[in-house]
Amino acid sequence: MKRRDFLKLMGMASTATLLSSCGVERTTEKLIPFLIPPSEDYIPGESYFYASTCTECPAHCGLSVKVRDFNPIKLEGNADHPLNSGALCIRGQSSIMRLYHPERVKQPLMRDASGKLVPVSWKEALGKVAQALQVSGKSNKQNIYLASRTTGSLAELIDWFCQRADVERFPEYELFNHAAIRQANALLFGQNDIPGYNIEAADFLLTVGADLLETFVSPVRYTRQISRARKAGQLSWYHAEPHASLTGFKADYRLRIAPRSEPYLLAFLVDYVVTNKLNRHSLPTSMRAALPKFSVQEVSKQTGLDSRTLNELGLKLGKAQNPLIISGGVSTAHDSGLEVALLTGLLQWLLGMTESTVDFTHSENYHRVGSQKDVARLVRALENGQVGVLMVSRANPLGTAVPELKLADAVTKADLRVALTQFLDETAQVSDVVLPLSHAMESWGDAESRRGLVSVMQPTVEPLWDTRSEGDVLISLAQMVSGKTLAPTYQEWLFQRWKQALGSNEAVDAFLKKGYYEKSVPAIRVDLDAREATRLLANAQINPAVGEGALVAAPSIRTFDGRSAILPLIPEIPDPLTTISYGEWVSVSPAVARAMNAKDGHQVRLKTERGELLLALKKQPGLAEGVSVVHRDQLPADFFTMEPRTGEVKVLFKRVSLEKTGVKVAIPILSGSQSQHGRGLIPKNLSHREGHGEGEGGETLYPPHEHKTYRWGMAIDLDACVACSACVAACHIENNVPWVGKEEHLKGREMSWIRVEPYYDDQEHLDTLIMLCQQCDNAPCESVCPVFATYHNPEGLNAMVYNRCVGTRYCHNNCPYKVRRFNWFDHEWPEPMDRMINPEIWKRPKGVMEKCTFCVQRIRKAEDLAKDEGRLVQDGDIVPACAQTCPTDAIVFGNLLDEEARVSKLAHSEHAFRVFEVLGVEPAVHYLYKGDWKHES
Amino acid sequence: MKKSIVPVLFLGYFGLIAGVLLFMGFYWQAKYSPPEQPIHFPHDVHAGKLGLDCMFCHRYADKSIHATVPAMQICMNCHQTAAHDRPEVQKLLKYWENKEPIPWIKVHDLPDFVYFSHKRHVKAGLDCANCHGNMKVVQQVRQTRTLRMGFCVSCHRIKGAPTDCLTCHK
Repeated sequence: MKRRDFLKLMGMASTATLLSSCGVERTTEKLIPFLIPPSEDYIPGESYFYASTCTECPAHCGLSVKVRDFNPIKLEGNADHPLNSGALCIRGQSSIMRLYHPERVKQPLMRDASGKLVPVSWKEALGKVAQALQVSGKSNKQNIYLASRTTGSLAELIDWFCQRADVERFPEYELFNHAAIRQANALLFGQNDIPGYNIEAADFLLTVGADLLETFVSPVRYTRQISRARKAGQLSWYHAEPHASLTGFKADYRLRIAPRSEPYLLAFLVDYVVTNKLNRHSLPTSMRAALPKFSVQEVSKQTGLDSRTLNELGLKLGKAQNPLIISGGVSTAHDSGLEVALLTGLLQWLLGMTESTVDFTHSENYHRVGSQKDVARLVRALENGQVGVLMVSRANPLGTAVPELKLADAVTKADLRVALTQFLDETAQVSDVVLPLSHAMESWGDAESRRGLVSVMQPTVEPLWDTRSEGDVLISLAQMVSGKTLAPTYQEWLFQRWKQALGSNEAVDAFLKKGYYEKSVPAIRVDLDAREATRLLANAQINPAVGEGALVAAPSIRTFDGRSAILPLIPEIPDPLTTISYGEWVSVSPAVARAMNAKDGHQVRLKTERGELLLALKKQPGLAEGVSVVHRDQLPADFFTMEPRTGEVKVLFKRVSLEKTGVKVAIPILSGSQSQHGRGLIPKNLSHREGHGEGEGGETLYPPHEHKTYRWGMAIDLDACVACSACVAACHIENNVPWVGKEEHLKGREMSWIRVEPYYDDQEHLDTLIMLCQQCDNAPCESVCPVFATYHNPEGLNAMVYNRCVGTRYCHNNCPYKVRRFNWFDHEWPEPMDRMINPEIWKRPKGVMEKCTFCVQRIRKAEDLAKDEGRLVQDGDIVPACAQTCPTDAIVFGNLLDEEARVSKLAHSEHAFRVFEVLGVEPAVHYLYKGDWKHES
Repeated sequence: MKKSIVPVLFLGYFGLIAGVLLFMGFYWQAKYSPPEQPIHFPHDVHAGKLGLDCMFCHRYADKSIHATVPAMQICMNCHQTAAHDRPEVQKLLKYWENKEPIPWIKVHDLPDFVYFSHKRHVKAGLDCANCHGNMKVVQQVRQTRTLRMGFCVSCHRIKGAPTDCLTCHK
């Protein structure tokens, strides 16, 4: 080509480009008006909070649903609620994704002639069920209703429906059914329930296996109670466990005991208390004789605790003013689980806890819950061909019941299988009719979270799809079957009931605002019924501890019994102990890994009697050498067997071996190291902290910042923090932080603005650090930004102007805390999850750096309100999302210039330090750490 | 040769300037001309001739970040009886009968990364015309200010309002 031709072509090309770019960008956005103006007190663009109840797990914490322009966009705990007082856990925070989940069942489905589930109308679906109910009534077949844990008005409505439609209501299905505890309490005290544990009233707490901070019954409430008791300085907390759990690491004393040795420990304690006459109730002599007795040496040998520790524990328990002992979780789900629960109950009675800290009056309302034994009974009925219609509501027994019961085969023998559900789980997939249920945030309802405490559920959004509430489904069905009705709709019936209970419409309105009411319930005083328990204890099944080759299937704080794994945020947030986000792994002690010559992420073959499994290996300090741990939902369902006496699913496996395969698994372990390498991120002793205070170390080329009215800062109490990761989930939802998936995590491109960093020391203690943008005064990120996208604002924030960022990532490279995140892609929220995007903060596009801003939208809002009222922002006006949801109140935010502000007082306390203080970057995040509460025997 | 090139260059030079100006004119015209709205709502009649206050229709301007377009019930309060003979009003009545909202096209559209509160500006005593032009005389709404950052910041500077980036950038 000639030079002239080239120039001509270039000229033409550039003109064409110029002309083509001349198109005018025109907004086509629509402004859609209301037809009818909303009520006077509604203001568009404002957020409103409605009280409701969390239904992610059976704990039923109180919710405050943030609704903006008719879309729920964030869940917060109801600050007044007696259970959780404002806090929510990681699952509760993420559970808004269940409402908007694209995989929800969107209309009724029915199996057609070819055996496929096809959409039908509600009339057709309900008609089919009603007809089948009538037919089986005539042919003398039994109809069965199997729901998951149900309380409050719905529980009564199900009873009413079952009566009208001639259906047998089966004991409720829960995977974590706590059957051993309930059975023991039924035997000892005649109470088939889990009592309310009053931790705040206790001065000594011994937990055996019960993971109070993670999944046990009502974790947010227990965490709150423990943190309050700790702050009051009264509680001494021992946790005994066979594996290594977050609860164990965060207890004052972690007692590492051999798997299945709990009965020895508890029998020793009973014996110690009785022998030393520390008991407040006397033990019937027949029972005394029946008690299993072991010598101290035997107990010591079995548990692995030395005799000094054992005696000390006995003495502390016996001498405490208000002792409390709780067993559960992995310790009651093995073949001696019933003994563990029985001995615990006995200790509770002997030491007078049943009059103080163990409260059966306000029990946990688990009395309707059954166990795997009831599934066995269901299978028998099915196999005998006695079952007409099998209705399963909000439960997935086919996915989680133990395989030995052969439920999957038996279920085909029912005439009609009906699933009331939100997702097409294993149970729904084999059903003939699938009735889609509305989410609790789309429908009216209530729950009796614990005996006497009624929590409201109220709709905060129109049902997203053609779904109905369970109450409405049952009312329509009953009418079709029997012609009888309670009320035209479930809502009307609920309001009638509430009015009856509360007296007036005004009181009902107040209840809806407040979110709960407490009704008086007849007090339950328990006394020991020794007969049955004596017989059982005489024949106690106390097997020797499992010394070698044990595998514990531990519940996961992220997924509960596996149900929360469907929420996209849950696998995105790493497990707090291992920092693994996506994938399956087995935790072993570092010594075992060393012996196998295996590193984190190496593949191992896990061999059990129930089958083999390939998993990634992860070293877990604090774990005994003979024990490995897999999260319960990461084991296939066919691994599990039932403990025949209690009907719990056994989580302890024996004769397990591990073998390295030589393959390296791609598994994202997000922390670079789990050791502080002696660098004192969290200073262990005061000498490291010398020189803490204002102004030193901050040599800088730039003039100091002037903060006139506000200098926002944060104080994080690491002694209080239990690393539950609720703050991480809250931050994701509040700030539109995307979830990016495993591939991105493997490349180190996780997006979370706040993270939990676990550090283990040589004594295998765990320290956790909450790391977020430190909002430095001399921020290293600011000085390297070529476009002034990040800068120090007059209120002390390390501000980020997203639309100005050009994505050089210099700031990220220069940040000593590694808290900046880069958008490698435009992250999209799948429809309809885009409805939960918080419009108060921009959803950052591709090529833009992002990070924590101390929830600047909340700061802006509080300043706006203060300006309206002609005042300054006061302490406590601004609560960032992480601090709001924290069950231990570990995070305090405020104005560091205000000497009276809580944050200032904490920042100047003698236990305060800042991470990498020596760098002189002057962070605004202060940490508090004493570290005097952790010990391990 | 030398004689002919001077006028060509001369013409070319001014021709280019004229071209650029013309182009800018078209661009401006296209960008800021009023869009075709579903109903030709005359602000000059309502705000001018009838003298309705802005807040009579845009009733959240002093309460919310959004000024909001009025709910159709507000239109119907008067148009239940008023001016039924006008074709544009008949369009309104049709929407109302079908219970359909009017799909207005947004004229003043700030980018998603901008936080702008109508309430703050109204409460500070700013006249709506400062940003929206004199609505009492326009027949069709069009954008009369750039509403770009320079426009905002110059006013913030003059009035002594905060100019910290985070005031407006979210």
